[in-house]
Amino acid sequence: MKYSYIKPRKKSIFTAELKITMTFFIMTLGMLFLTYTFLVYKDLRFSQERDEIIQKRFDFGVAIEDMKEQIVFIEKEALLSERIYTQNAVLKDSIANLFDLIPQRITLSEASLLENGLILFGITPSKDVYNFMLQAPLRSIFHKTYSSFYPQPNGWLKFVSTNYIEEESYETNISNSRNQEIKEENGDEN
Amino acid sequence: MKINVSRQNIYLIVTSIILLAFVLLFSFLVLIPEGKNYREQRIELKKESTELKKYKNFHDETFETLKQLQGDNRHIIEALDAPFNPQRFEKIHKDFFSSLIISEPEQVSDEEEFYIYEVNTTSHINSPQSFYNFLEAVNKSDWIIGINFPINFKRDGDLIKSSFTMRVYNANKKKKTEEKKELNSNE
Repeated sequence: MKYSYIKPRKKSIFTAELKITMTFFIMTLGMLFLTYTFLVYKDLRFSQERDEIIQKRFDFGVAIEDMKEQIVFIEKEALLSERIYTQNAVLKDSIANLFDLIPQRITLSEASLLENGLILFGITPSKDVYNFMLQAPLRSIFHKTYSSFYPQPNGWLKFVSTNYIEEESYETNISNSRNQEIKEENGDEN
Repeated sequence: MKINVSRQNIYLIVTSIILLAFVLLFSFLVLIPEGKNYREQRIELKKESTELKKYKNFHDETFETLKQLQGDNRHIIEALDAPFNPQRFEKIHKDFFSSLIISEPEQVSDEEEFYIYEVNTTSHINSPQSFYNFLEAVNKSDWIIGINFPINFKRDGDLIKSSFTMRVYNANKKKKTEEKKELNSNE
């Protein structure tokens, strides 16, 4: 017995309308969740990147601090060496000037260069030669000059000349000559 | 008038309304605040990146300056780092003297980051010119040396016996590092 002219078909819960609606729903929800996931992921990346940047900035800061210290130290080293080189150059000039000061008729046997003075031992044919040719220039340089003479069997005189610069003037002289040297060096460079 | 709405359609409408409500709630309560947060974080990151770039540029500039300084003062840096070796000093400078005797270096003081050693020297020279040449050579030597007072010259036959003290300067980097460490640990 037949009740219908058409063949019975299976009825499904997923009708065409429901399928369209479900697709629409899934797409909507999918887009929403995708956007949310994207935002959460980006936030996470941003905070990671920020942490990395902060760490890098800290490292740069430490490195900069360290380099600055090194720069200051090298500048100190350069200044110190410059000071010592200048001192040596001034010393060389001072010794050269001292030996230039000694006249040919006077013979030195010993010379002691002190920080603020000069002690000379030597022989002179006479006191006058010593006074005019050595003591006069020494007096123009030093503030205090003392001389002692000891007669020799050959008629010449042994002398000991002690000369001192007052501390303040000595420092001024030294700093003046250093300044002069530095000026000369700068002048040469220019 | 009777509106005939099938049960399926009613389900559809209810589900659509629920979805709409969910979308609205999700957007306003979650997505929009998150989006706002995202935008803020992006601006913040951009700011941080600009700041980092400035730091990097400054770092590069400082590095350049340091390299330049190190290059310009290479001799000084090496000279201050080198420990004083009396035998080597004697070997290098013996040409200026007929004889040269150097005492062992003795540490005399600390000047900020520098050690200072004092060395007593006794020598014989032919003429003052040798001493001048020696002073010039000292300024070019492997160490930073300052010739110190008192300087004695004494006639010794045909030669001049000279005695003087030299101050050898040495960079005290170890002390500096220790000080730095101490400072960091205190902090």
